[in-house]
Amino acid sequence: MNFLVLLLVLIIAAAVVIWLYVARQGDAEFEFIVDQRTDFRLTELTAGQAVFSCVVPFVNKGTQDGTIMDCYPRHLLPREQFDAVKVESRLALESRLRDDGYFEALIVPKTTGGNVVLTVVLTVRQGDIRATLAEMVDMSLDIVYQVVARSRWYIHKQRLVMTAEEITRALSAGPTGA
Amino acid sequence: MAELELIPVRTRILTPKDNIVDAIAEYARDRIGPDDIVSVAESVVAITQNRMIRPEELEPSFLACLLCRFVPQKGSLSSAYGMQAAMNAEGKWRVAFAMVVGMLAKLVGKNGVFYELAGEQAALIDDVTGTMPPFDKHIVYGPADPDGVAEAIKARFGCYGAAVADVNDLKRAAILGISKGLEPKQVARILIDNPFGNASERTPIVIIKNYAQVAAKESA
Repeated sequence: MNFLVLLLVLIIAAAVVIWLYVARQGDAEFEFIVDQRTDFRLTELTAGQAVFSCVVPFVNKGTQDGTIMDCYPRHLLPREQFDAVKVESRLALESRLRDDGYFEALIVPKTTGGNVVLTVVLTVRQGDIRATLAEMVDMSLDIVYQVVARSRWYIHKQRLVMTAEEITRALSAGPTGA
Repeated sequence: MAELELIPVRTRILTPKDNIVDAIAEYARDRIGPDDIVSVAESVVAITQNRMIRPEELEPSFLACLLCRFVPQKGSLSSAYGMQAAMNAEGKWRVAFAMVVGMLAKLVGKNGVFYELAGEQAALIDDVTGTMPPFDKHIVYGPADPDGVAEAIKARFGCYGAAVADVNDLKRAAILGISKGLEPKQVARILIDNPFGNASERTPIVIIKNYAQVAAKESA
């Protein structure tokens, strides 16, 4: 009987030690710091299309390295709200720019981070883009990212707003190039 | 006088729709001679064999979630999905046993015991990010029957030999499969500087030119 009690105590003690180890080890924890993003700037302008981009920093503020398996933007401009332009959006790592919208899985060591370049392409359905964008509304954009680290993978998103004022300011400043 | 020469062969991105021997024929047939060794990168062989899986297709067990916590962060088995993939390939109790023994061995200063006991696939698995797009979001296993692949390459092209190699930029070269008559350590030494380059260079085939002539000269 005493042996069984001792065995049970040892098993419970081992489980507690392992639980403490795992809890202390922690995991990766990502954040896209949308309130530290740069203003959108106009990178290209034609009669029918305006291309804007901004830089959004991200950080792994956790205690373990983590992998961003995928990351993409989701623009939210329903036609009920504004139907004069078609919207495309994509993002890429600032350190590995690419224009195909593919996000190459990236290991981010703990307490480090990087930047993504978020690009929004607005194409007018009819008429001139500059005149059309004078009526543009604020548009929400979610940065959606899939993380895998020590725990099970998850998808998270963080929202930013591309404001009408920002678009007007960028148009007034003119194209700055990619 | 013939000298050893390493010729990396650039290809398109090979996929599970490809056969590695046919791919060598497509890109390198004219450059392979009877004195040459044809070597291929193990991860590309595995991809052409469709030996890969997405983390989303795996359901990690409690054991996998727990054991991955004891693997250093840089290791491919440090995620629950990499660990589960290893367990699926080698058996969960084998991997668990290897982990316990490996930890005990570390306490007495012996490293690498886990990988010795857990099975070949535990050491060969590449976690996500381990290969180039579009397979960067996959866990890639080691190739199946690498010796058979090497023999098939040799038979198809009439070359001196063939090898399936796992080489990286950290001066680590391992021969996973090799045709009969070749010495794996010798071929590994030739490939130690990673002539395959990194994945984005897309050179998964390296022809070791004039190997037989040079070997004959050295042994004379």
